[in-house]
Amino acid sequence: MHVQSLSVRMRTALGAVAAIGVLALTACSSDGGGTGSSESAEPMESETGGAMMETVDVTVGLIPILDVAPIYLGVEQGFFEEEGLNLKLELAQGGSFIIPSVSQGDYQFGFSNATSLILGTANGVGLEAVGPGASTNGTEEDMAAVLTTADSGIATAKDLEGKKVGVNALANVNTATINQMVRDDGGDPTKVTFVELPFPDIVPAIVSGDIDAGQVVEPFRTAGVNQDLVSIGSNFLAMSPTFMIAEYFTSSDYAAESPEVVAGFEAALAKSFAYATENPDEVRAIVLTYTQMDEETANAVRLPGWPTEIDAASIDLQAELAVKDGMLTDIPDLSNLK
Amino acid sequence: MTRFLKATGYALGLPAILLTAWWFGSANSTNPFWPPLQTILETFPTTWTWDRIVGDVFPSLARLGIGFGIAVVLGVALGTAIGLSPTLRALSEPVLEFFRAIPPPVLVPIIALFAGYTGWLGKIVTIALGCLWPILLNTVEGVRGLEPVLGDTAKSYHLSPWRRLVFVILPGASPRIFAGARQSLSIGVILMVISELFGANRGLGAAIVQFQRSFAIPQMWTGVIVLGLIGVLLATVFKIVENRMLAWYVGQRQIERGV
Repeated sequence: MHVQSLSVRMRTALGAVAAIGVLALTACSSDGGGTGSSESAEPMESETGGAMMETVDVTVGLIPILDVAPIYLGVEQGFFEEEGLNLKLELAQGGSFIIPSVSQGDYQFGFSNATSLILGTANGVGLEAVGPGASTNGTEEDMAAVLTTADSGIATAKDLEGKKVGVNALANVNTATINQMVRDDGGDPTKVTFVELPFPDIVPAIVSGDIDAGQVVEPFRTAGVNQDLVSIGSNFLAMSPTFMIAEYFTSSDYAAESPEVVAGFEAALAKSFAYATENPDEVRAIVLTYTQMDEETANAVRLPGWPTEIDAASIDLQAELAVKDGMLTDIPDLSNLK
Repeated sequence: MTRFLKATGYALGLPAILLTAWWFGSANSTNPFWPPLQTILETFPTTWTWDRIVGDVFPSLARLGIGFGIAVVLGVALGTAIGLSPTLRALSEPVLEFFRAIPPPVLVPIIALFAGYTGWLGKIVTIALGCLWPILLNTVEGVRGLEPVLGDTAKSYHLSPWRRLVFVILPGASPRIFAGARQSLSIGVILMVISELFGANRGLGAAIVQFQRSFAIPQMWTGVIVLGLIGVLLATVFKIVENRMLAWYVGQRQIERGV
């Protein structure tokens, strides 16, 4: 009897361990987006006459959306190589997937929405912004949209009450800004049900009726509109015409350990942003290399804003929204993110 | 009495050691992702309020119950049919082995394609499909492995096929059926969580996801502890049911062993 009952417990324990293992994998997943493409720059060639510069390998966690196109362009144009950096780009489903990897040192840099960075900071994760990520382009032709079907009966944000809304990650900038849209429209955001789905799965889920609406950015916005979905507005533009969504960041530890690498990354990133802003056609071309979009969609996408500096007002606003949504009780010191 | 104390001591001994090791091992942790056990336990009562249990734990358990129930009914019915018919067995065996070898979590996104990510249907189908194979295959083996004497005796007593099924075949196969069901239950718990990680909104798995996304790491760990506790609880309930229904078998085994 003893032996038998022990074996039952063992099985249960194993089951629990397996479940925990799966959770841990999900928590640190670096491949949520599923498009799986990653690139790395060619190793530095020795330059005649000059001293050979030593390259440093760094891994950067990104989301497979148009917003991160400048970094792919920067690698292609050799901006990072010039700073002695050999970039390995990894894709994940959202910033909250990338932050643990950066914090634990698996990645040296990452791209995340500021809300997740604020929540991480508030909970003791040492993070430091190295540059702006992307912002709304400030026009009615914004690159973000809350999409729904034409016959869903959802016309404004208030109509999202009682509906299922897909977002790429729970408790991030998208849930916070959609909640604010609902509030501004006189609705009660606690009545909205958010469902977490990877960006590429959101449009198909709206079309199939699995969810009522969903928040997407490019290139998925264009893909959705091509499938007859309609937008009830950009959740970013609704905040402000200069609303900054995301940032590039590193861990406080890495920033202290390797200030030169961080400075080099910042410089190359700034060049990449300028290049992307000046060469929209190249942005459209490079997005084909890390998403599953076809050329027609890529030609139709709307580009986000790639600001030259971090917009501190957007950080403050995202912190305030996090408090309103009950994700935070107090706003922590956010100077590292500004 | 001493036997009971000894059994309780064995049952609680290792968990106590592990918890102590966890407590002291994590006591001075400053890593936000590995908070001290003390912090985790302190957040437990405020996290797992009655509202959350009703909103997240009960729906998860209900889906597990329904999925597991479907798997038991289907598994036993199909397994009995296949076990009794050599033709059916020859036909289905390669197919069964094929399906059994597919890791159930892989099915989650596939099932979601037709059953949706967000509703109950996809989650229940996932659980039922994952739980089905161990029960089905064990039932086949249990039915096939019945002593021929039993069947012959039942025939000579002119028992109707229905009575033979209910009083001879199913009880005879029940030790194997229970062995399969026990395996399925732990698979079911895993799938209950996994099915809620994709398209997360409500449920135990979704709650853990939400805690992780908002960097409420101690709360996330409490969710993992709740999962473990549910596993222990389900195994205990299963053991009680098994002991009742298989009392004859347990007694028989003990006599055979000369206890």
